Amino acid sequence: MKKCNFKVLIDDYLFNRLDEDKKEEFEEHYFNCPSCFEKMAERNELIAVVKSKGQTIFKDEYIAEAAKGETWLEKITSFLTPRQWALSTVSAVLLLVAIFYVIPNLKTTTPQFYINEDAFTVRTADNKITLISPIIDMKTVQSKFEWVKLDREDVEYKVYIYNNGDMLWSETTKENFIVLPEEVKLLMTAGEKYSWQVKAFSPEGTIISISGKVRFKIHKGE
Amino acid sequence: MGKNKKEIDLEEIHTKYRPIVSFRVRKSLGSFTPDWEDVVNEIIINVIEKIKKGEFRGESSIGTFIYTITSRRIIDHIRQKSKVLKHAPEPVAYPDPHLQVENKERAELMTEAIQKLKPKYREVLYLYYYKELSREEVAQKLGITSRRVSERVNYSQKLLKKLITK
Repeated sequence: MKKCNFKVLIDDYLFNRLDEDKKEEFEEHYFNCPSCFEKMAERNELIAVVKSKGQTIFKDEYIAEAAKGETWLEKITSFLTPRQWALSTVSAVLLLVAIFYVIPNLKTTTPQFYINEDAFTVRTADNKITLISPIIDMKTVQSKFEWVKLDREDVEYKVYIYNNGDMLWSETTKENFIVLPEEVKLLMTAGEKYSWQVKAFSPEGTIISISGKVRFKIHKGE
Repeated sequence: MGKNKKEIDLEEIHTKYRPIVSFRVRKSLGSFTPDWEDVVNEIIINVIEKIKKGEFRGESSIGTFIYTITSRRIIDHIRQKSKVLKHAPEPVAYPDPHLQVENKERAELMTEAIQKLKPKYREVLYLYYYKELSREEVAQKLGITSRRVSERVNYSQKLLKKLITK
């Protein structure tokens, strides 16, 4: 395949990381460069598969990443001085006391959430909601909002759309996507900032998981 | 760079440029826009008509000529859509069921192929495409250079192509 300087832009173009001028320049280029277009189409396919099937494909990587975290911690501890060790031990004891005191009280409250490394993912225990689309700015109001379905089947998802932090609309569904009604799309205007979020509920109405809020903006036309 | 007016093969507009125009239209309008194929058809027809009328004078390449028509039509479509949105019908099932089956099969093949890759390649794909870290972040995380990250991504792509076409 021909070597072309534009090839380095492919991933940034597909992830919408190029500024408008660079984007247009690259678009004009791939209309003239079959080699770049072929490579971009292949990349696009690869990214689509990685994004949609990633949870299955990368099971081992999740485990390896967790294991690496432990090794990293071990390395840190080897650098501590005796004084730091003593302080750490005291802190650890205090932390344990806090944990043993706090955990029994938390059992009756809402589940604990913790933020995953993905900016747009928040999960509880084994449940995780990952928003698929939209996660970027768009040129026109997108009809379909989609996320990764949780493993369990009896989940009801509640989708929220916010405009500058205020809730614009929400709806519940058992599917892993929702189509915006026309009246909602009409409320959404170019240039405004929006965000969306999905919460998952059990049949008893208990919250199982909550995604991060993903911001997006509808670009003004030409 | 491009061909001049005399060399334009109208058949080539369909075979060579249709996939490029389709890609650009879907990227701009979103894959869930039900009428993206209509937009592509209109662009191709428009290009052929303009060539027949002699509006392509070879001042730019044919690729740039088609790119310009495509960009204008996309902007028109977005403007038009925002005007008629009030009466626009709900999107129909997307898109062609045959296309979906083909893509699904390819997706399965690709999934299997990625799982067959060596861990060092899968790890890069995981961090770079799945977690969307930058090249530099991936490099830092794996203790390799950014250049090596790009090399591993490119090599993975080549291996996947081989595994799928086997």
